Amino acid sequence: MTRGENDRMKSNNPHTGWASRSFDTLNILLLLITVATMVIPFLNTFALAFSTNFASMQPGIVLFPKEFSIEGFSTVWNRMQLYIPFVNNIIVTVVGTVGHVLLCSMAGYVLVQQGLPGKKWMVSLILLTMTIPGEAIMIPLYVVNKELGLLNTLTSLILSGLVSGFSILLMRNFFMTVPSEMGESARIDGAGDFRIFVTMYLPLASAGLATVSLFEFVSRWNQFTPALLYINDHAKYTLQIALKSLIIDTDSTSSNFVITTNVRMAGIVIALIPLIIIYPYVQKYFVKGIMVGANKE
Amino acid sequence: MKAVWKFKSLYLMMIPIMAYFAIFSYYPLVRGLTISFQDFRLIGNRPFIGFQNYGTVLKDSSFWHVLENTLLLGGGTLIIGFIMPILLALSLNEVFSTWFKKVTQMVVYLPHLFSWVVVGGMWIMMLSPDTGIVNQLLKLLGSDKPIAFMSSESYARWVMILTSVWKEMGFTCILYLAAIVSINPALYEAARIDGANRWQLVRFVTLPSLVTTMKVVVMLNVLGILRMFDQIFVMRNGAIAKSVDVLMMYTYQKGIMEFKIGVATAAGFLVIVATLLITFITRAIIRYDEG
Repeated sequence: MTRGENDRMKSNNPHTGWASRSFDTLNILLLLITVATMVIPFLNTFALAFSTNFASMQPGIVLFPKEFSIEGFSTVWNRMQLYIPFVNNIIVTVVGTVGHVLLCSMAGYVLVQQGLPGKKWMVSLILLTMTIPGEAIMIPLYVVNKELGLLNTLTSLILSGLVSGFSILLMRNFFMTVPSEMGESARIDGAGDFRIFVTMYLPLASAGLATVSLFEFVSRWNQFTPALLYINDHAKYTLQIALKSLIIDTDSTSSNFVITTNVRMAGIVIALIPLIIIYPYVQKYFVKGIMVGANKE
Repeated sequence: MKAVWKFKSLYLMMIPIMAYFAIFSYYPLVRGLTISFQDFRLIGNRPFIGFQNYGTVLKDSSFWHVLENTLLLGGGTLIIGFIMPILLALSLNEVFSTWFKKVTQMVVYLPHLFSWVVVGGMWIMMLSPDTGIVNQLLKLLGSDKPIAFMSSESYARWVMILTSVWKEMGFTCILYLAAIVSINPALYEAARIDGANRWQLVRFVTLPSLVTTMKVVVMLNVLGILRMFDQIFVMRNGAIAKSVDVLMMYTYQKGIMEFKIGVATAAGFLVIVATLLITFITRAIIRYDEG
């Protein structure tokens, strides 16, 4: 575009004039209000988490810690032993995410192979699982886990959602961009499918792996209903369940001291931190993942 | 057969996946269907009793009550949760400063990342009548009496609807923004040459280009209505349970709290049937299959 054209574009630009400018101002103002409704709750939570027991119980509009203190954190971590569910959560999240990514990408790899007899059937069976609402079969799933002797084990939580149709299709769509000749020539050289999958396909679909891992990490970290159903034993509690009883069921705590607001908010902040750390990456891959995932067939 | 043998390692790789789906998707589905026709006890024999469990559910007035709550909460979330992200995306699209745009996107997407325990816990704290920030702000604006949002039946449903919209608004908005980015700029150019003003550009170029995304969003949200559980489980309390308890809450209470597994499973299958029905109707109404 030449300079002259550029200028003409500008004068032709509808974003000028009085009405347009007042619209812009109003628009920005409304957006700022929206942003405020998102930012203030988090500021409020962080500020209260870092306040003293006493200060956190006082009324007021708190956006910065009133009397800075980490007693909320030390109470929730040491006295209420939040480290136990925190560690459980890490185990379930990490093992579950790694397993999920490996299994789903393996299935995705199989589904991009040409001329595989029965592939249509596999795809239909996988698509069908995506239409079964997980919540509606929560009681039968509870029965199945009970019969397999998995109740009160972290294994039940790792197994819950270990493979998902959504991730399989997502990985398949990423693998579709890998030229199939590459695999063919490796096969002629005597490489097996598993080796081709691990050494050639996985590295080429690293964006897909990142997308699926991040989605899975977030949803596992936040996993709630399965833990609620399968876990009774306090030693096996995961973070969300422990937080639920800490924050919300004021009466269900084992000890007999008052849980102050800073303690509750400290629990929330602890649950937020890992997600905030990975948030920049989630943002980077999120739209990409959605676009590829939406393109189902 | 020879062709199948050639692909044996591929089938081998598929075995764990298919086994997983067999055990954790299909078996529970079939098993659940059987249980829903049984007088299911954890120990002892489990006689088949026909449609009795379904009868029990359908005759239970509290089932109809939670159905009503589900439809009200779901409908409210569906409508407000449909409009808000579009408005947000359109108004973000009008912003010139890419810096402001980026920061706003980043912030509005944030709540989607967190669990309902976290989000619910934050809002319960903020809506508390004594110390919560919302009542403090209202006081600043001149309201004299604090409002007990979380224990008043008249506010409870609105709290659930609005917090749910608050949580998912940014996520949906980003879907729209991604669609807006992919609109062919030549369309805007052509409309501008025809003398279209800003509002007309939005009305005749941007909005029509978003219809496909709108359909996807509506489908996703409709499917979500009957599944609503975490939010309600976390945010309900005795005072408001009557106006916010939803279908899944009913299933959970019947199955896990009262151990009426047969009845709970029957309720679950009614939910599946209702989901299929609603999906089918919505697909027809929005002409989902036409792209």
